[in-house]
Amino acid sequence: MKATVAAIEYHFPERCLTNAQLAAEFPEWSVEKIEEKTGIAERWIAAEDECSSDLGIAAARKLFDSGACRPADIDYILFCTQSPDHFLPTTACMMQERLGISTSAGALDFNLGCSGYVYGLGLAKALVETRQATNVLLVTAETYSKFIHPKDKSVRTLFGDAGAATLVRGVAGNDEFIGPFVYGTDGAGARNLIVPTGGMRRRVATGEGATMDSDGNLRSEANLYMNGAEIFAFTLQAVPKVVRELLAAAGKRLDDIDLYVFHQANQYMLEHLRKKLKIPPERFFVGMRHCGNTVSCTIPIALKQAVEEGRMQPGRLAMAVGFGVGYSWGATLIRWV
Amino acid sequence: MQKTEFLLSLDELLELEPGTVKGSETLESLEGWNSLAIISLMALMDERFGVTLQPRRIAACTTVADLVALLDDKIA
Repeated sequence: MKATVAAIEYHFPERCLTNAQLAAEFPEWSVEKIEEKTGIAERWIAAEDECSSDLGIAAARKLFDSGACRPADIDYILFCTQSPDHFLPTTACMMQERLGISTSAGALDFNLGCSGYVYGLGLAKALVETRQATNVLLVTAETYSKFIHPKDKSVRTLFGDAGAATLVRGVAGNDEFIGPFVYGTDGAGARNLIVPTGGMRRRVATGEGATMDSDGNLRSEANLYMNGAEIFAFTLQAVPKVVRELLAAAGKRLDDIDLYVFHQANQYMLEHLRKKLKIPPERFFVGMRHCGNTVSCTIPIALKQAVEEGRMQPGRLAMAVGFGVGYSWGATLIRWV
Repeated sequence: MQKTEFLLSLDELLELEPGTVKGSETLESLEGWNSLAIISLMALMDERFGVTLQPRRIAACTTVADLVALLDDKIA
């Protein structure tokens, strides 16, 4: 039994945040400048009462509606988020009931950000290939917007909310469709991308006491903080290394990969990494203009867009590379079926 | 890289007219010197020399001359 990526669907919330709206709120930035610096034209923002489970469920329902599988086929739910509905219970457990998935299914949440999709594929493959499950529903969903201070343009311009659902299905045979995997972790970078309060270590999370940084952005310790320069430095070190390690582990050369699908962090950084790795543009996917950085959803959204654009077809080989908050990173190969 | 070339690169990444940055200014006095400019400088140094400047070391610079000193062996 081998695991395959059988189908992907995604969902955005209804509310759109455009560059024109941002430029009106931050007059020091123009519409053109926001797009030039980020490569993003619009992001989708969850409603007040809309949670990551809702976005994930909407994406999963699209998967069922597409005919890829039925709720009854799912025997394991993996849910990746850093903005769960509750501390407990596990969001994946509530999704089982809402999606009409069998009570004989396993379900768990895992907390990762931009690397989450690659880790989810690793977990799903392990479940399938050790015959613990046959049809794994891997859902990534994130509502970072709820962590972001409205006056913090550094992150508000970048992040968007979304949900994505992937069916990882076991098929008979010995051909590999997912893998190998290369992982990495460096907790020394924790402080550079963090929501400091609200968890058990510093439980009281209030929006009061917001302070201004040197760029004029406001945030409190209950808000998302990103040290962009440190994250960039981390990326310059970690991403080329993990790409080379994965190519070596797979016995492949750079041009054996049909499409590189990196975490869509921001277009400026992606373009820099592409040039640094000498990947030709036609083999490198950039697809964040209409959704921004959707954290663990960027890779499945990009893969689905690549399929729709005809850039991923059966038999083609993609490299997925996730990297970010933790620090955590991972990369794998996906042979499209 | 010649120092004049570096100063012109700074003009470009700060979106200033060529020749604006003379080399003795405080970074604070330069319009456009912000966290995005720091990232642009890191990208430039990575592209040109394959070195990753540590953001903490850039943040410790107060003048353009400090930046030049930080880049030390890269700038003639």
